[in-house]
Amino acid sequence: MILKVAWRNIWRNRIRSMVIIIAIALGLWAGVFASAFVVGMMQEKVESIIRLEMSDFQIHHAEYRDEMDVKMVIENSQQIAEDIREKDGVIGVSQRVLANAMINSASKNGGVQVVGIDPAKEAVVSEIDQYLDTGAYFEGIKRNPIYLSKRVAEEYNLRIRSKVVLTVQDVNREISAASFRVVGIFNTNNGPFDEGRVYVRHEDLEGLVGTHEAHQIATLLNNHDSAESIASQFAAKHPDLEVLPWLDLATGMRLIIEMTDTYTYYIVGIIMLALLFSIVNTMLMAVLERVRELGMLMAVGMNKVRVFAMIMFETVMLALIGGPAGLILSYLSIRYFNHAGINLGTDVYADLGFSSIIYPDLDAGSYLGVSIMVVSMTIIAAIYPAMKALKLKPAEAVRKI
Amino acid sequence: MSNYVIETKGLKKYYQGAVEVHAVDGVDLQIEDDEFTAIVGPSGSGKTTLLNLIGGLDRPTDGEILVNGQDISQLTENQLIDFRLKHIGFVFQSYNLIPVLTAKENTEFIMLMQKTPKAEREERVLALLEEVGLGDKLNSRPTQLSGGQQQRVAVARALASKPDFVLADEPTANLDSHTAANLLDLMAQLNKEEGVTFIFSTHDQRVIDRARRVITLEDGKIVSDIRQ
Ligand SMILES: Nc1ncnc2c1ncn2[C@@H]1O[C@H](COP(=O)(O)OP(=O)(O)OP(=O)(O)O)[C@@H](O)[C@H]1O
Ligand SMILES: [Mg+2]
Repeated sequence: MILKVAWRNIWRNRIRSMVIIIAIALGLWAGVFASAFVVGMMQEKVESIIRLEMSDFQIHHAEYRDEMDVKMVIENSQQIAEDIREKDGVIGVSQRVLANAMINSASKNGGVQVVGIDPAKEAVVSEIDQYLDTGAYFEGIKRNPIYLSKRVAEEYNLRIRSKVVLTVQDVNREISAASFRVVGIFNTNNGPFDEGRVYVRHEDLEGLVGTHEAHQIATLLNNHDSAESIASQFAAKHPDLEVLPWLDLATGMRLIIEMTDTYTYYIVGIIMLALLFSIVNTMLMAVLERVRELGMLMAVGMNKVRVFAMIMFETVMLALIGGPAGLILSYLSIRYFNHAGINLGTDVYADLGFSSIIYPDLDAGSYLGVSIMVVSMTIIAAIYPAMKALKLKPAEAVRKI
Repeated sequence: MSNYVIETKGLKKYYQGAVEVHAVDGVDLQIEDDEFTAIVGPSGSGKTTLLNLIGGLDRPTDGEILVNGQDISQLTENQLIDFRLKHIGFVFQSYNLIPVLTAKENTEFIMLMQKTPKAEREERVLALLEEVGLGDKLNSRPTQLSGGQQQRVAVARALASKPDFVLADEPTANLDSHTAANLLDLMAQLNKEEGVTFIFSTHDQRVIDRARRVITLEDGKIVSDIRQ
């Protein structure tokens, strides 16, 4: 009966109830959508970090990353790479020879990071061939082809077939140089990645620096979640090498992920707070408007538990209507934008290495999390008005009759 | 132990303020079973205050209120609510009913709170509404009923809990004289045929004439107590 009274009570003032229902629905939607937006943005970022920048895990000489010394190669890199390639869940392995070089074009000199690769193997891991802007991916030029980013091309005023000279320090600390011809220009739209990046064939770079081993072995897995465990398995087997999963390679990524999580909590928190106040306010009005009626009910013997329950039920029922409505709205809008994408309409994010098109996405757990937050927020919001109702003195309330 | 339904001893209710108001000022009153008593007096004489004290809606400043021998001024607030539910029926001047419930549901509500079994509840609701002349208005909401009909539902609701007595503070104040007379007829009939004890306050001389006992208050004191 109390449920029946509560249910009918909420329809006494339809407009007010609709306002609360819509507030709950929109609050939930805003919270869920904001989370999905951030999740989508992070997914994009993580995916691009793994696919393009880091792969799932990388192997180096134990000190290479600190010293950046060309002498610190991975002994037996060919054999190690083959071992990895045979493991389950491995999509591709690329051995890379790395060197800092001086680049000389007709117009300018400067420093670049040279990556010596097997073009076919690298294409599987980083798909760098997919970002081709002009020219070809290691095709059409037989001697010393070089594949470089649009940024480098523009900076050094290079076109397809332009000639550049790369100068490096070899393993014996001697200066060694060779000329290369531009075979292709790529553009990943990831500013920091493209900056000063050039690819050559590993055999060409090996000749230049005087080694036959790679400095880096990058591995792409079909399941990114297994990166940490596979990396640590491998590290145990090769204690002389440094084996790091992407999360440890991408410096600051852990921090960024944690920070965006925190931001999301703040955003959702602010939305919830706004929701809280609007519900408290409206329910308080609903209680104060009914002082005489509630006073009469207490006078004739409706006890505090029942009065409290009635006001709570009223609020919770509103939440039970607004909540699912908000969830449906969230689900549909996230699904829609997950396909269509939200174009932020600016490339400033590219400079930070973020995509400018976001595909919001959210797992079931987060829907549940936000829903639980909204429902508990509503219940908390109902407590104050319900307490207010309990404070009514029936003698005073009925006197107003 | 007394055999009065209600007995007050030196009952006082003072309101603190700029000046202390002696709303009820030393009332000794005995009400027996089956009485049909009117409390009258000028505005501000303390009628509402006295009824609220007897009904356990308000606490006395001093004195005792015994209902069937039990001192209700000793009860906690929660016990008082429970006591009101089980022992007292109320009819107010207005706002007696829950607007979102029908006549039947309003009457049933109090029995639901008393946890009366469903079959008994159904039977009693129908009988009561029939008795107050609203057998054909079971499913009407208060807004669909006239003022007199609403007060009749209130009487039915007050009786639904099988109270020891019914308190009615100016039950006819919002009714025209004809409707007021009808409500009084109903109350008198219930008093006579069912032995329901009624205590009501009023300003209306015609209502006063129907009472079997008239207690007059002035400045919170009983100035006359006449059985007629
Ligand atoms: N909460 C209160 N605080 C202070 N004084 C009050 C309060 N309630 C009532 N009084 C005063 O107590 C006195 C008795 O009031 P009460 O309402 O009992 O009179 P009444 O006989 O019912 O009057 P009426 O015929 O107008 O209904 C009045 O002087 C009133 O002003
Ligand atoms: Mg009064």
